Amino acid sequence: MAAETGVPARPFPIRSRGAVLISIGIAAALAYSHLGLALGDLVPDAGGLEIARDFFSRAFSPAMSHEADWVPDGTASLPMRALRAIGRTIAFAFAAMSLALLIGIVFGFTSSTAWWAGRPAGAETALGRFLRRGVGPAFWLASRTFIVVVRSIHELLWALLFLVSFGLSDLAAVLSIALPYGGYLAKIFSEVVDEAPRGAAQALTAAGASGPQTFLFGLVVRSLPDLLSYSLYRFECALRSSAVLGFFGYSTVGLFIRQSFLSSYYGEVWTYLYVLIAVILVFDVWSGAIRRRMV
Amino acid sequence: MEAAALDRRIAELRRARPRDRFVRASLGLLALGLGASWLVHRFSFADFTSPRRVENFERFLTEIRPRPLRDRAWDWEIWRSWAGEVMTATGWESAAGTLGISVLAIAIAGIFGYLLAILAARTVCSPEPWLREPCPPSPIRRAAWRTLFLGARLVLILMRALPEYLIAFLFVSFIAGSAWPGVVALAIHNAGILGRLGSESIENLPPRTLRGLRGIGARRRQIAALGVLPVALPRLLLYFFYRWESCVREATVLGSLGFASLGFAIADSRIRGRYDQLVFLIGVGAVIVLVGDLISAFARRLVR
Repeated sequence: MAAETGVPARPFPIRSRGAVLISIGIAAALAYSHLGLALGDLVPDAGGLEIARDFFSRAFSPAMSHEADWVPDGTASLPMRALRAIGRTIAFAFAAMSLALLIGIVFGFTSSTAWWAGRPAGAETALGRFLRRGVGPAFWLASRTFIVVVRSIHELLWALLFLVSFGLSDLAAVLSIALPYGGYLAKIFSEVVDEAPRGAAQALTAAGASGPQTFLFGLVVRSLPDLLSYSLYRFECALRSSAVLGFFGYSTVGLFIRQSFLSSYYGEVWTYLYVLIAVILVFDVWSGAIRRRMV
Repeated sequence: MEAAALDRRIAELRRARPRDRFVRASLGLLALGLGASWLVHRFSFADFTSPRRVENFERFLTEIRPRPLRDRAWDWEIWRSWAGEVMTATGWESAAGTLGISVLAIAIAGIFGYLLAILAARTVCSPEPWLREPCPPSPIRRAAWRTLFLGARLVLILMRALPEYLIAFLFVSFIAGSAWPGVVALAIHNAGILGRLGSESIENLPPRTLRGLRGIGARRRQIAALGVLPVALPRLLLYFFYRWESCVREATVLGSLGFASLGFAIADSRIRGRYDQLVFLIGVGAVIVLVGDLISAFARRLVR
């Protein structure tokens, strides 16, 4: 129609955006009333106000030494303790990411359809057909189910499950981050590879490349920047998750934040918070720079 | 002869491939960190094989069997009535609380995050948005806009730096007694993320129309409201729903700090040593996350 009248089409169709916006508003209002919230509850009561005042008054004067009157001999100085805690936080995050990347690569491959759903170039052997019709879809379904399950359980709930089944274990802490993150990476990896432009892959197939060759050099290499950029984002999340695991008893920075806060040593809390924020900011800026140069 | 030429050409192409020292060094450093983490901190594999741990695990396996089924053969009928009891006791209520917290939090995060996104967009927050002014703006005006821009960026970075759970932990002490700490924590963190994503997509909008609006004399806020937001909206809604998925996921655990959501029921069953309920409720959490993913996928298709 537009072409006939010579009027160009509008580039941004509205479709159902209005309905979506209104639904969001209604949902938010329902949530507000269901939770029994009142705006007045956002204002702290006398007790809360005192804690808040004490806490925020230390924001610009973080502690440089232990605030407790007595610390056992041989206790590391507070800055040292904070640095060690953040070091362990980073170590947990990196260890978790190394496993998560492994899970992501393996299950990202088995969860993608690109390596078996395509039509083969030439005549198909019996083995080829069996792989394509039988093994491919079976693998795909099994690994999809696996990554959906590990992903939909929060890392802290994984940590809780390990805690009640095995007891406190640093390796279990690493696993509890690695499992859901592996699921996320596998999901994104498979989607990115499946949605990568197929031109190069088709050219490779036409030139006689085998299935795995096509997959690796035609699709994976092509989507590498996207995969790396998502992995960098997950690195940042892993740092935060690793910090929070401390609240469940692991020796990352969250443990010390919790202990100091509950003892009302707010200066110490700010020391730990600033160290954590600094590490996350550095990583944020760094990964941003990598991403900008990669794309 | 031809093969040699081909080799030369391949070598040429190889030399001309895009290379970036910084990216290579960074990725190398990260890869090094992945390996080094296992050496720096001794993670003990014995944690899963020591007799005491194995015993723990075996006991755990017997205890996650629903109580009424503890000493008898598996019966789905009994399981169903047991599951129904758990759901009426805590399940439905805390599931609704979890969803409620996530929805309210992301709505608040959307409003504040996207308002900040406009300020944090280079193209909007400038003394000369989209078009150069007839006479160059004074250094003071330039500095003021620069400060505003950097301020908005800084606020967004700080908002998203701390994890939701940590913010909620702090806020529980200030405003106890309702679900606000969870809502506020999720809203702060996600506003920081939405603001960053939003400002990027605003900066990447095709500038022609916006330049045109500026050219016919529209003010900055008029362009923002009538030129920028409507065009960027599909993108903004896309990010909005992506972050909502993550909110649902986070909301399943935040309750363990003490307000009506799934995390509370899970923490409670742990304290009471009811591991059968604990595992069941974690399963309920997984289902909620999945339902959230499905709703979000449907909504994202609508706005795309």
